[in-house]
Amino acid sequence: MRTKRMIAALATVAYGALAFGTTAHAAELRMAWWGGESRHVATQKAIAACGEKYGHTVKGEFTGFDGYLEKLTTQMAGKTEADIIQVNWPWLPLFSKNGDGFANLRKLKAIDLSNWSEADLSAGSMNGVLQGLSVSTTGRVFFFNATTFEKAGVAIPKSWDEFFAATATIKEKLGKDYYTFNAVKETAQLLTTLAVVQKTGKDLVDPATNRVAWTPEELTEGISFLGKLVETGAIRSQKEEAADGNVNLFEKPAWADGKIAGSYEWDSTYSKYSDPLKDGQVLKPVAMLKLPNAVTEGVYRKPSMVFSISKNSKDPDAAAQIVNCLLNEPEGIDALGTSRGLPASKAAAARLGDKGEPEVRAANAIVVAASGPAVSPFNEHPEVRAAFIDTLEEYAYGQLKADEAAAQIIDTVNDVLAEFD
Amino acid sequence: MKGHRLLGLGYLAPYVIGLLIFTAIPFISSFYLSFTSYDLMSEPRWTGLANYERLFTRDRTFIKSLNVTLLYVFLTVPLKLAFALFIAAILNYRLKFIGLFRTAFYVPSILGGSIAIAVLWRYVFASEGLANMMLATLGLAPVDWFGDPTNALFTITLLRCWQFGSAMVIFLAALQSIDKSLYEAAAIDGAGKVRTFFWITLPLLTPVIFFNLIMQMVQAFQEFNGPYIITQGGPLKATYLLPLYIYDEAFKKFNMGYASSIAWVLFAIITVLTLVAFWSSKKWVFYAGDKRN
Repeated sequence: MRTKRMIAALATVAYGALAFGTTAHAAELRMAWWGGESRHVATQKAIAACGEKYGHTVKGEFTGFDGYLEKLTTQMAGKTEADIIQVNWPWLPLFSKNGDGFANLRKLKAIDLSNWSEADLSAGSMNGVLQGLSVSTTGRVFFFNATTFEKAGVAIPKSWDEFFAATATIKEKLGKDYYTFNAVKETAQLLTTLAVVQKTGKDLVDPATNRVAWTPEELTEGISFLGKLVETGAIRSQKEEAADGNVNLFEKPAWADGKIAGSYEWDSTYSKYSDPLKDGQVLKPVAMLKLPNAVTEGVYRKPSMVFSISKNSKDPDAAAQIVNCLLNEPEGIDALGTSRGLPASKAAAARLGDKGEPEVRAANAIVVAASGPAVSPFNEHPEVRAAFIDTLEEYAYGQLKADEAAAQIIDTVNDVLAEFD
Repeated sequence: MKGHRLLGLGYLAPYVIGLLIFTAIPFISSFYLSFTSYDLMSEPRWTGLANYERLFTRDRTFIKSLNVTLLYVFLTVPLKLAFALFIAAILNYRLKFIGLFRTAFYVPSILGGSIAIAVLWRYVFASEGLANMMLATLGLAPVDWFGDPTNALFTITLLRCWQFGSAMVIFLAALQSIDKSLYEAAAIDGAGKVRTFFWITLPLLTPVIFFNLIMQMVQAFQEFNGPYIITQGGPLKATYLLPLYIYDEAFKKFNMGYASSIAWVLFAIITVLTLVAFWSSKKWVFYAGDKRN
């Protein structure tokens, strides 16, 4: 009897200690990310699974891409950012020029860094300090609505010449309100960039001089290419786009109906663009279209977003456990799938194998296989982007000629780059 | 007595603390920051008048944005006040279901500043939106509400004018407080309704018009939601009001010091225009018991 009591008492103490231990290590964490519906659903499942595994509570804070940078900036300035943060790779120099903007991930033992290549770790480092873990490699790829092309009896194009021929046929057979492509805001910038890179083989920024690598003539040709897209009716004019107000492509009825039959988007965003399409319509990732005499396919490929941990986190070790779970452990890998593109982590890549959306895989394969120069993060610097978008708008409204627009962009971008000399 | 004083201070404390934290400290800080280069991530660096010098001598966007803002304010405020007064005058009559009408006209003011309404506005005035559908049923050509730089600001102005409810309620209260005997005397003297309105109603409403003018002007200078959600300041910066420019500089380009200098210029403009309004009010605002003719 006495022994039984003793055992019961010991068991109670042991259980109590265990429970206390779990409570003591349970952390309340926040994780912030941007994305579309499918990414939101996948990430919520993943943080729930990883939170449960380690006994932490992880609250998701998610939005679309628009406004995310502004929100993050405000939070970083006020030191109220989430514990785990999804950061766009080109923003790393903005938040952590000296490598002290986020927690040093090499010091957090819970993260198994052997799952990343040295190149990935280097891309996520600032001033030699690991600030973000590469989630995937991403790039812009062409998506075409195969159903619209099929309806018009034309094949999906393999070159820009074929594209313009297909556009003429589609407009003739299906109507003038059909467009084969989309180019607004940053997509207009990246299409212009693509045209110049294909012709020259050079990225916007010359790393040797930290100035614009293109001549005004080369950029003029790229801007004229954008003009040609409007003239041929491949894309709607800037004025027509503005007439709908500030609406994302995937929210437009014309996109859902297949009347805008293509775009140039991140490979990982396939679902965001395919989900709104009306039943029966098929969106396909397509290999890079090339201009005649192109010296490269000009792919815009870069490390995708990174996961960082706040240097102000009350429990960085717990945050590191969650990050490791999301990127390297079965619970996180299975739940996230390919919602952020094909993972950079070796463990995740091995576990996923051929799982995930085949279209995202196909899009990523195009990005990985295509040729192009290394992309500078300055391509997405907010002021560089604003210089392109504002000037291209002035060109679209006929306020500037292509050569004037090119000169204006080069001057403005060089001014921005000079601040980083 | 001391207990009462402590209790009074206790009641005041939440307001004073809120005022200090959310208004006074940011207000003073932004003045200091306007003389610095500050990217939010590192310590502010003193640059003297450099931000203001750049603002007035080299920044074409600021000049464009300032012009757009002034045009917006000078369009919106008179339109909104006139419309609010017009509706208030109608709702001052004893009509059937008057309570329902008053509520209905006030509702847009409650909803008007919200993001949802801005999104709704975007759809109503889109190229194939409700506004153009209505024009089509009347056999009229569609209007490019947002794509044409000239129309875009007007469309944003309409959204602001649609939120006339708060000004209307104040006008309505003022209309109801006018002594009826004045109207009776005017009627006996043979004055018609229009004459009565311009010679009795309007002069007696001038203090309220003045109040609404100041309030609406200050609010119009601070407009952000509508243009941000609907046009993002475009096209060609035709709706790029100064608050949007401040926001972009502060949170997209990380130029918090420069953004602060723009904010202070905006504050100075509002202050000057308010002082001008106060100065001019001596000539056109009449208070009860005023001994002027």
